[in-house]
Formats: sequence, structure tokens, C-alpha cells
Amino acid sequence: MTDYTYSELKEYRQQRIVLASKDHFELNRLHDELMIKAVEISIERVKEELGEPPTSFCFFVMGSAGRFEQSVWSDQDHGIIFKENSKLAQNYFLRLGKEIAQGLFITGYPLCDGGVMAGNPLWCKSLNEWSVQIKNWINEPSWETIRHLLIFMDGRSLAGEDLFIKELKQEACSLIHKDHLLARMLDNTMLLKKGVGLLGQFLTETHGPHSGLLNIKEKALYPYINAVRILALKECITESSTLSRLQKLSEESIPTSKRLLYEKQFYQLLNFRLLFGDHSNYDSGHFLLVSKLSTHQKKEVKDIIKNGPHLYQFVRKLVEKEP
Amino acid sequence: MNTAFLLNSLWVMVSSVLVILMIGGFILLETGSTRMKNAGHIAGKTILAFGISSIVFWAVGFGLIFGKGNALIGLSKFLYSGYDIGGIQLSGSVFFMFQLAFAGISLTVAFGGFAERAKLASYLVFALLFSVFVYPPIAHWIWGGGWLSEYGQQDFAGSTVVHLTGAMAALAATILLKPRIGKFNKDGSANQLDGHNQVFTALSVLLLWVGWFGFNAGSTLSADAGFFGFVSLNTNLAAAAGTISALIISWIVLGKADVPMMLNGSLAGLVAITASCGFVETLAAVVIGLIAGVLVFYSIRFFEKKGIDDPIFALSVHGTAGVWGTLSTGFFATKELATIGKPGLFYGGGFEQLGVQALGVAASGLYAFLVSYVLLLAVKYVIKGLRVTEEEEIIGLDMSEHGSYGYPELLHSENLKGDQKFNSAETKKAIIQ
Repeated sequence: MTDYTYSELKEYRQQRIVLASKDHFELNRLHDELMIKAVEISIERVKEELGEPPTSFCFFVMGSAGRFEQSVWSDQDHGIIFKENSKLAQNYFLRLGKEIAQGLFITGYPLCDGGVMAGNPLWCKSLNEWSVQIKNWINEPSWETIRHLLIFMDGRSLAGEDLFIKELKQEACSLIHKDHLLARMLDNTMLLKKGVGLLGQFLTETHGPHSGLLNIKEKALYPYINAVRILALKECITESSTLSRLQKLSEESIPTSKRLLYEKQFYQLLNFRLLFGDHSNYDSGHFLLVSKLSTHQKKEVKDIIKNGPHLYQFVRKLVEKEP
Repeated sequence: MNTAFLLNSLWVMVSSVLVILMIGGFILLETGSTRMKNAGHIAGKTILAFGISSIVFWAVGFGLIFGKGNALIGLSKFLYSGYDIGGIQLSGSVFFMFQLAFAGISLTVAFGGFAERAKLASYLVFALLFSVFVYPPIAHWIWGGGWLSEYGQQDFAGSTVVHLTGAMAALAATILLKPRIGKFNKDGSANQLDGHNQVFTALSVLLLWVGWFGFNAGSTLSADAGFFGFVSLNTNLAAAAGTISALIISWIVLGKADVPMMLNGSLAGLVAITASCGFVETLAAVVIGLIAGVLVFYSIRFFEKKGIDDPIFALSVHGTAGVWGTLSTGFFATKELATIGKPGLFYGGGFEQLGVQALGVAASGLYAFLVSYVLLLAVKYVIKGLRVTEEEEIIGLDMSEHGSYGYPELLHSENLKGDQKFNSAETKKAIIQ
């Protein structure tokens, strides 16, 4: 029995988040702590309502939480894998999924627009059903199923049986290799938005509430995240964060000097986002107030942004070489 | 009756038809650049405006421009009945039709500034007032033997007379009407209220581009020596250059090849060459078009920064490009082609013609703006507001002003509810409940 509520977690979050926001790793450790505690409360509540879980399970997070790359504000993306399939189990874990979503929401994590949440039957399945679903995604690839697959591959367990998600990811990876799906997966994320113009100027937002700010998520972070995810898949690395994926890559995939450079640049980006974003709300957190950057920092950000497409091209060539 | 007279009449009649078809271009341009809920209204009022403008032009407009009078206004030839007119080598009624079409275009341009928020009554009353008090005096000054024509003002087909005049009225209207709901945020940043159909907008540009051969080449008022061919050539080159330069500048500055911007570049090229098409060489036409495409890009950003909501970019496309086009002859008019006025700065004429052009722009622009502003203020007072209510603006002018939508299947309430199925808030709720 936990002796605190979601609202108390929210308060705890508010007390701790400002200090934690000065460092990328500290911030994400705090997010993990908060999410784990919220999930614990949810489990207790559902136990009171429906009794003990009918079978063992794994609750996992995806998206930026899965990648251990959350900013101050971050929305929810999560799912559940349970072991034994039964109608009872399915109802139980769907209920748990909804409880968790609500709990996280109260704690301070907005709901996922795309419905990637454990209360959605698509993301809450038994181990067997998950296995079938992933096979289906791979056998009948469409824009949407590849999207799902990409999201799933960033999964990371937060509660329960860690092994379930790891096994499924391994399984998915070997199927992806068998079906030569890497190029297609790269295509799915190919829409790169230019961050630096021909004259070397930042391409900031021209309209809307973030006019004049740089969308660092779309224009800088995404190219790195997406390219490195594909590299990790190529070697079936189950790690989910971009930095740890980079660290695990072999010399064969990417020369060490390049690997270290991208690692450094990506980490720098995460810090710039924390330092120069407006973190008063979820929407504005991904926008960089470039006017606040020093001349040196501006140059640094521009270099990082320009390197994104290079990394992308590099990965494309590598993937196309695959037999 | 001689062959020249017949050929001239035939050519200018064809041109009149082409210019009237430009109204169709404006229908597509304005509806394509605005939202669905106002489409029927915008399309319909454009036809209505041409109707009002035609009747007023016949009754008084033509006389105020071409009648005998003084340096400021003409005062005869009212209620024109089709007689031949001295001093021109074509049928009087053909000349009348051609001039009537121009007056209609200028009013259509002015109404660009009204889009998506003005009451139907505002359109009705201002159509009448503009066609009497705004367009005819300026047309008289430059084309009807008024004071600017005595200075040698060059405006071959109406960059100033038609386009700048219309744009300045649009500016007065858009200032008085204030921005559309949702255009600007509290901090002054602008939102993009995207038009609902880029295909319409692109087709409109093609239609206007073709219509412009009537507008410019028809302004020769003669088939003599096939000079209309040369004018068409210049017109086409400037439109092409404006298209390309607007696309390139938006690609350089914004990092994307923006389609609406490119289309505005084509139109800006056309508007700019309108004054100079008969006075400059082909190379100059290309340069004039290129500059117009770049100018229109920065002009659109400028007005938006100033908090002025210009829904279909009339101020930039017709105003800024109109000013540039009128000034351009002051730079590029050649000795051989300058049948009116003097050659431009780059062709040995010094600054004189440029000065005349600037004077014409300033006088006409200022007059059109001030008179339109005062007239609109008066209309606002008389009909108790130029603008529809907030509720009416939100449901759309199709419904509020006419009682039916231009796109009924899409906009009726039941279908709107259907749309909300995909609304994320609903999806979210379904998942947590």
C-alpha cells in the first residue's frame, strides 16, 4: 500500500523539477522516479478494485520517455505486455493502463495525442498477441504500421518483467532484418525540416505563437534520433536512448571519430534545449529562443543542425548497401 | 469604314473580353486564398461588384474620366449610348467596354481588403462610392487628359490607375475593418490562416496571366504594326520572372519553396509590367519582373509585421508591385518607345521621368487612400459598422450573409460533428475512460 497520492506526486514534481532541469540526466532520473511512483500508485489502486494481477506483466514507456530524453514537459507514450492471455487479464490490464494514464496526467504528463497509451487495446496485449501484432506490422508494412514499429523500438520497461519487452524487441529486430525493412523505416522518418537556410540563417517559425523561435525538436533532434535508431536496429542493439545507442555502435557501422562527434553534439543539443527553451508549458519547450544564444553557441547549434542531414545520408548509404 | 478601324475594334473587343474574364481569375484567387466557409459569398460578391461597377461606369464613371471638363475631372459623356468617340481609331462602344472592364478590375482589387469579415452591405455601398469618387478621378488625371497626363505620366495599362488605386482602397478597408479573428496572437505574432484551395489559386494565376494579354496588349487600342505582340511579350516575360524570383527568395529566406508566394510573384510581375509594358525593352521587362517577385515577398512580411491583415495580399501584389511598376518606367523607358513622357534614368533621360512617375504614385496613392478611408468611415457610420458580428464571422459569411454554404456537404453541422471523431481530445477521452 502506497501512502501518497497522484496530487502529492505532482507537488513533489513541482518542488524538484526546477533544480533537476539544469542537467539532462538528473532531469530524466527525476522523470523516471515520478513515473515509477505514479505507476506504483496505479497498481495499488487497481489491486484494491480488481484484486491481484492475474498474470505477470511489463509496463513500458516509449517516445522521449523511452529514450530517456524527456524535456521538462513531456507527454505520455506507454504500453503493457502481460504473460498469460485471457479475457480477464485483458480487462485487468486495460483498466490498469487507463488508471496509469490518468495518474500520470494528474502528476503532470499530458495525454498522448496519438493514443499511444496502455489503456488503448493496440498497446496493451499478451506476450503472444504482441508477437503476432509485431509480425503483422512487419509482414504488411504500411506507413502506419512502420510508424508503430518505430515507436515500439524505443520501448523501455519501467515496471514488471523487463525481459518481456527486451525479447519482443529482439524478435522484431530479427524479423526486420529478414524482411529488409530498414530502408523503408528510414524513409518513414525522412521528412527533414530545414533548420538553417542558404544564407546560414536560422529558419525560425514565421507564424503562430512561437514566431521567431527555432523548433529544435523537429529541426535538430529528430534527424539524430531517427538516424541513430536505424543504426541501432541494424545491429539489433536493444538500448533505447540515442546516446547509449551511439555508445554501443560498432566501428563497422560508424567510424569512432564520427560516433564521438555525434554523441557530443546530440548531448549538447539536449542541454541547449534545457537552457534556452521556454519551459513554461508543453508546447513551448521545444522552441529555442535563438536570440538568447551567444555568437559561439549560435554557430555550434548551426553546425549541429547541418550535421543532422549528413548523418542521415550516411545511414541511408549504409542501409542501402545491406543485401 | 477602313480596315484599320475594323481591326482595331476587333482586337480591343477581344481584349475587353479577356479583361472581363480576369474577374473569373479573381474569383478563384480570392476563394482559393480564403476559407471554405466564405467561398460562396466571395465568389458571388465578385460578380455582384462587377454588375454594380458596370452600371455606375455607364451612368457616370466613363463621363467623369473621358468627358470634357478640367484637369481634375471630366464632366460630359454621361449615360453613354454607344456613339463613336473622336480622336480614337476604333468603335466608341468597344472603347467603352474596354474601359468598363478596367474599372471593374480596380474595384475587384479593392475588395480584396474586405475579405472574410465585411458585411454584404459594405460591399454594396462602397462599390457605388468607389466607382464614382475614387477610380474615375485618378483615371481622368492620367488617361483622360487630366493634370498628370500633362506632366507626361507613363502608365501604359494601369499599374497606378487600376492596381495601386484598388490596393490603396483595400488598405483603407483592411485598416478600418481590423484583422480577422485568429489572425494575430496577443503578443502580436501572426497566425497562418491558410486558404482552402491552392489549386484554385494556381488556376486563378493562369487565368489572370492570360487575361493580362487583353489588359496590357489591348491597351495599345490598336492593331497597328502588331505592336500588341511586343507588349504581350514584355508582359509574359515579367510574369515569368516574378514567378521565379518569388520562389527563389522564399526558398533562400524561409528554406521552403512556398507555392502561394510563387503565385503572388507571378501576379506581382504582371502588375509591375502593366505600367511599363509598352515603354521598355524585353531585358528590362525581365528585370522589372524579377524585382517585383522579390518585393512582393518582403512586402507581405512587412504588412504582417505591422499587424495589418491582408487576406489575399492585395496590398503587396497590387500596391507594392503597382508602385514599383510605375516607377520602373522612370528607370527603363527607352527613347524610341516613350511615346508619352521622357526616357528613363538608364536610357539617358535623367531623373525627370522618374520624378514624374513618383509624383503620380504619390498623388494617386494618397488620393485613393484618403478618399476611400473617409468614404468607408461614412459608410461605417451609416450602416452601423462595416464588419459582421463575431458569431457571423465564425460560422462564415456564406451562412450569415446569404443563408447557404458554398460547400454545403462539408460545412453542415452534422458533418462537422463527424469531423470531431478525429479530434484528438475525443480520442484521448476514449482512451482514459
